[in-house]
Amino acid sequence: MPRVTYRLPDGRDCEVELSNGQSLMEGAIRNGIGAILGECGGSAMCATCHVYIEGGPVGALPSMCDDEDAMLEEAAAERLGNSRLSCQIRMNAALDGIVVRVPEEM
Amino acid sequence: MNSNVEPAKGAVCSKARLFDEEYLLDPYPLYQEFRDAGPVIWLEAYGLYMLPRYVETRRALEDWESFSSAGGVTMNDIMNEKLSGGLLCSDPPRHDSLRKVIERPVLPRALSQLRERVASEAKGLIERLCRQKKFDAATELAHHLPITIVSDLVGLPEEGRERMLVWAPANFDCFGPINARTNAAFPVVGEMVEYAFSQCVPGKLKPDGWAQMIWEAAHRGEVSLEDAPFMMNDYMGPSLDTTIFATTWLIWLFANNPEQWRKLRENPAMIPAAINEAVRIESPIQNFSRHVARDVEIGGVILPKGSRVIVSYGSANRDERKWGNPTEFDIMREDSNEHLGFGHGEHNCVGKNLARLEMRALLTELIPRVERFELHEAKPAINNVLHGLKTCRVTVH
Ligand code: HEM
Ligand code: FES
Repeated sequence: MPRVTYRLPDGRDCEVELSNGQSLMEGAIRNGIGAILGECGGSAMCATCHVYIEGGPVGALPSMCDDEDAMLEEAAAERLGNSRLSCQIRMNAALDGIVVRVPEEM
Repeated sequence: MNSNVEPAKGAVCSKARLFDEEYLLDPYPLYQEFRDAGPVIWLEAYGLYMLPRYVETRRALEDWESFSSAGGVTMNDIMNEKLSGGLLCSDPPRHDSLRKVIERPVLPRALSQLRERVASEAKGLIERLCRQKKFDAATELAHHLPITIVSDLVGLPEEGRERMLVWAPANFDCFGPINARTNAAFPVVGEMVEYAFSQCVPGKLKPDGWAQMIWEAAHRGEVSLEDAPFMMNDYMGPSLDTTIFATTWLIWLFANNPEQWRKLRENPAMIPAAINEAVRIESPIQNFSRHVARDVEIGGVILPKGSRVIVSYGSANRDERKWGNPTEFDIMREDSNEHLGFGHGEHNCVGKNLARLEMRALLTELIPRVERFELHEAKPAINNVLHGLKTCRVTVH
């Protein structure tokens, strides 16, 4: 199963296996990583699953839809060029090894 | 309402009186009959269509040009007339400009500033209730955040705040078809409107509150000055009972499903899923309506322009075509965020993230302190469109 690394606000790195099709937000939550709030449950409506893409196969990321783009403007932590909503990224083999940093403010 | 017209071809006729007390108390068996009977029901008693299934409800909520809110979202002409042109009862582009002003303080970034304050308030409350051990979750637990914090943020004049708990459900009673309940509620709603016009004016509002921000937006020309009084109740009206009921349902559901509470305690990161699942299965707002603005095909039936159709969040959220084991409260359910309990499309709930933030704060404090809830007594609140408990007495262990 493909793996993702969550770089947490407290400095820890958490590497987790996700099933194909699971979003990076769900993957965090189901594995007890509470730094990602995922308040709306994955509907691109709360911006509390904001992450920065830090490394790995970034070329394999899905492109951003308008809803995600608009909601990222509302993120509590500063929006950067590598900002994404983790609920909008579904895991697949090509994304194995992706690294995301979780901001402190949600 | 056009109660004497022939229903459209293909719609299933029903004589059921959905808004009689026995069905308001437990609408679910009737919903199930409707869903099994077909995608479009004609409710003879009210002259209204109803969409009982998930797919059609979702589609209708996405298609505002056919299923208009500007033609009213309640089930009687008097109330639709009164609310006409407000946020809830408008279509784009007017809706967009009103919504922009109303949503400003409850957008994610603004909310994130509130998180700590709500969390510390929740901590104080839950510590106290856990010492007390036995309490009414419907009042002592669920009232606190909406009534203290949210009221304070909105900043309406003090004298109205207490009455809001009477006004807000009366307002929702007036969303039903005309019946004894609707008629009894109209004068109460009159009081609320009077309060908005006479008391909710600059000088009497809290200077940095959300209500005052509406007036400031009006002065900047973002909405008209005539619109402002009508917007005064857009925060308190829809935020009290909805959030209070959802919170109470959470406690009731966890009391009845202790293994689900255990799962949540094992992984508190699942809190948002638990909240979505509670809103799905008990849908604090059960039914609104839409005005059919042009002939439109839905579920194989052509609804005629000018008719009115009930969108049933409560029934859609239990549609067996969409959900596996729909009557089971399962916090691990994977698609629980697809429920329609906060609406969908243009009019999806403005306050959903605020409501979630409040409920999260309470659950976060309950999780480390409560192993199980023992339920003593639950009594329903009856309302034409809301669904909740007025009493839910528990002991925490
Ligand atoms: C668990 C709590 C809540 C539930 C279940 C709920 C449910 C809903 C639903 C179903 C709608 C859609 C109406 C439609 O389709 O026409 C809605 C709209 C709305 N809600 Fe909520 N709500 C909740 C909490 C709140 C809170 C806390 C606020 C306070 C800001 C709020 C303010 C509104 C407003 C202003 C609208 C109208 C939006 C529009 O027409 O664009 N709600 N809500
Ligand atoms: S979980 Fe809400 S936007 Fe991603």
